[in-house]
Amino acid sequence: MDGGYGNNYNPYGSQTGGGFMPGETNSPSGGKGGGGDNKTIRPVTVKQINDATCPYPEAPFQVDGADVSSVMFVAQVRNISKQSTNITYKVDDSTGDVEVKKWVDSATADSMDVDDPNGIHTKGYVRVYGSIKSFGNKRYVGAHSIRPVTDINEFLCSMLEATASHLFFTRGPPGGAAGGAAGGAGGDAAMVDYGGPPAHNKALQTMSPFARDIYNLLRTEPQDDTGLHLQVVANKLGLPPTDVARAGEELLNAGVIFSTLDEQTWAILDY
Amino acid sequence: MSLQTPRILPQHLSNFHPNANSRTHTVRILGTVSALQGETAKITCGTHGDVTLILTPDEHLQMGKLVEIVGKVADIEGGVGIRVLGTTDWGNPADCDYKIYEQVVEATHRVKSIFYDAE
Repeated sequence: MDGGYGNNYNPYGSQTGGGFMPGETNSPSGGKGGGGDNKTIRPVTVKQINDATCPYPEAPFQVDGADVSSVMFVAQVRNISKQSTNITYKVDDSTGDVEVKKWVDSATADSMDVDDPNGIHTKGYVRVYGSIKSFGNKRYVGAHSIRPVTDINEFLCSMLEATASHLFFTRGPPGGAAGGAAGGAGGDAAMVDYGGPPAHNKALQTMSPFARDIYNLLRTEPQDDTGLHLQVVANKLGLPPTDVARAGEELLNAGVIFSTLDEQTWAILDY
Repeated sequence: MSLQTPRILPQHLSNFHPNANSRTHTVRILGTVSALQGETAKITCGTHGDVTLILTPDEHLQMGKLVEIVGKVADIEGGVGIRVLGTTDWGNPADCDYKIYEQVVEATHRVKSIFYDAE
């Protein structure tokens, strides 16, 4: 999405098809909000899976306020129960327990009565890749893959990965312009406030520091209805115009700013 | 609610003592078996000292192995120990970087919300 386009800055490039016109409030890119890249695999703890929220039926589950499609974690197997269509593992990672279902591919599963087809056994540790599902009121993880873990370091590191990911989504990237990132000694800091509409804050957290700087400048700098030109932004921030263009594209794609007079004049999209 | 068993180091035992102001008294701890005496055993937790365990008849520990203990914090003769509920054998202690475990314990208590419900 921020592929190399060098100096030929063109927000109406091939992939956006149509761009973002003033007054066109229902732009397809405007609705995405939370960064859009929810195809990633999130490292989580089981407690986060059990605490995940589902804003409305059929909606993707949310962890730390961000959509999550795939999760991974390491946990200890408490119970294995084989059914005709799936194997259900009850797993526990010390933060809670959850059921993991691995659907049996009838084409490849020739013998169902092999004790542990993948070397998975009760009390053993496993790494699970899957997605959070719910059936009735019961939450479970539909596993894409489940394999045994024998190295304790891998298991312990998975806990740290989950922590790092949690902090990223609640406090923003490490060392970035996100205020309280370095601070907070105890407990979870509140969401970093960029002063804009709440939906913007979430989108901004996953963006580059340049993009956040531009957003803050557009928010605080005195300006008329038409916003600020790329060149003005570049001068104020002391950044090369190419970087500003790139970061501007990020903001445009997330729908937090829009272009006004021309493609290189931007204002914050307040809604 | 499912059972939550925060990971700790020996110096945290008193925080999860039944008299302490904590919702959970069941904890996990990682250490190397350093003494076996009938119904009690000792594990050594890196450079953080020893913890005395009260064993159940059906848990078998082996000297020199790295084990993960799940248990309840309990009073024992001369201090605080752990009444064992379950053990997991992790084999040779040399295969584990105990520093990672220390970091996990640190993260567990610093970023509580994704690990356990406090008080």
